[in-house]
Amino acid sequence: MSSRVDEATAGAGDGRDVGRQTATRWRRRALGFGTLVGLGVLVWAAFAYAPQDIKQGPSQRIFYIHVPSAWIAFLAFAVVFGASIAFLATRNHRWDQVAVSSAEIGTVFTTAVLVTGPLWARPVWGVYWSWDPRLTSVLVLWLIYLSYLALRGYVVEPDRRARFSAVLGIVGFLDVPIVYLSVRWWRALHPNYVVLARGGPQMPGAMLATLMIGIAAFTLLYLYLMALRLRVERLRANDLEERP
Amino acid sequence: MLDWIGPAMVIAAKDLRLEMRTKSILSSVGLFALLVVVVASFSFPATGAGKNGVAAGLLWMSFLFSSLLGMGRSFSLEDEEACIEGLMASPAPRESIYLGKLLANLLFIGAVEAVVLPAFLILFQLEPGRGIPLLALTAFLGTLGIVALGTLFSAMAVKTRTREAILPLLVMPLCVPIVIAAVKATETALGGAALSASASWLYLLAGFDALLVTVGLAAFPYVLDE
Repeated sequence: MSSRVDEATAGAGDGRDVGRQTATRWRRRALGFGTLVGLGVLVWAAFAYAPQDIKQGPSQRIFYIHVPSAWIAFLAFAVVFGASIAFLATRNHRWDQVAVSSAEIGTVFTTAVLVTGPLWARPVWGVYWSWDPRLTSVLVLWLIYLSYLALRGYVVEPDRRARFSAVLGIVGFLDVPIVYLSVRWWRALHPNYVVLARGGPQMPGAMLATLMIGIAAFTLLYLYLMALRLRVERLRANDLEERP
Repeated sequence: MLDWIGPAMVIAAKDLRLEMRTKSILSSVGLFALLVVVVASFSFPATGAGKNGVAAGLLWMSFLFSSLLGMGRSFSLEDEEACIEGLMASPAPRESIYLGKLLANLLFIGAVEAVVLPAFLILFQLEPGRGIPLLALTAFLGTLGIVALGTLFSAMAVKTRTREAILPLLVMPLCVPIVIAAVKATETALGGAALSASASWLYLLAGFDALLVTVGLAAFPYVLDE
């Protein structure tokens, strides 16, 4: 049952398969190394390179983790949406593997957004939470994908699980813009927070550069996690096939 | 698309006939909706300035929870005696099954709401007067959206290990826009405002309903595809 042995022996009869697996493994390692370097540069840039915000002080630096996390969350759920449509169209279970991997990673990053946001908001806004449209939409998004993962946990039969979760992956993603719109109208009657004025404060170049490093490093991290998570799905699928 | 309507009517009529004989959904869901209103009225102070807002929220909690209860039954009834296999083997297209079940759910929950709403107005000493058309239209559009989602997901829920228990988990996050829009429009209606006062919320509800019914029709054949 050792997964490493499974992977090594899965295509042992064919020299080309072994070669391809070795190539995949090296690509995965290169991606992992690139991610590590990217995150290292991000830590340096966020703490040493980017200037201190005059009004918010050091707490503003959480922004370099928060915004890339939000970007990855949306990217991940867009991938779930695309993979869900592709699964229903082709019935190829590879797409289901992509969808579940991306949904799990997206949920982790949404959690990171929901943790880092309030940590920043407390010193700057004075409260941990406000029912602001963006915050509320992210919270609802998080709940939708938790229910997606819960649904997967409750359906045993693989084909049915893939179909059901694909439907939820599509409906859930289409729901998000409507949630955002409705929450924005809902809050329109209340005073808005002034710190995050529309258009935002003009950002110095070093801050923008740090943010871009963050987005690039997190995108690498997403791709690396996807590669690892997909490998688990594939090994699990092979394992099921090989059992009598 | 027109040939979906005929079989859908037959399926809805079958559900209505069944309900006329057993009265199981109307009695249990109706009582539940009333209980939510009464118990919640002990939990929230529905007096003073913000009274209409509290009452509107309370009414929609009652509508939402009782819809979830009623829709959970919808497909578990079909599942019990393997009726769903019969429906799938029949020449009716899958879209008709969705439309038929949606229509039946809408009628049952609409009937429950028609009983609970007057009781609620009396208990909370509300007299919407000119707001009644807005109140009725909001109730209809909000319920349609909840039912469009619930019909799709209750067909899934019965095929899971938890049966209907997972239905609220799936439907509640997705119907946040419906709750927001319906509560806001209801609050305005309880203040005695005419239809035009909440036009934008009604458009949002109608647009979201159209999206949900379309997505439901498109996705349902994949849910019932054994």
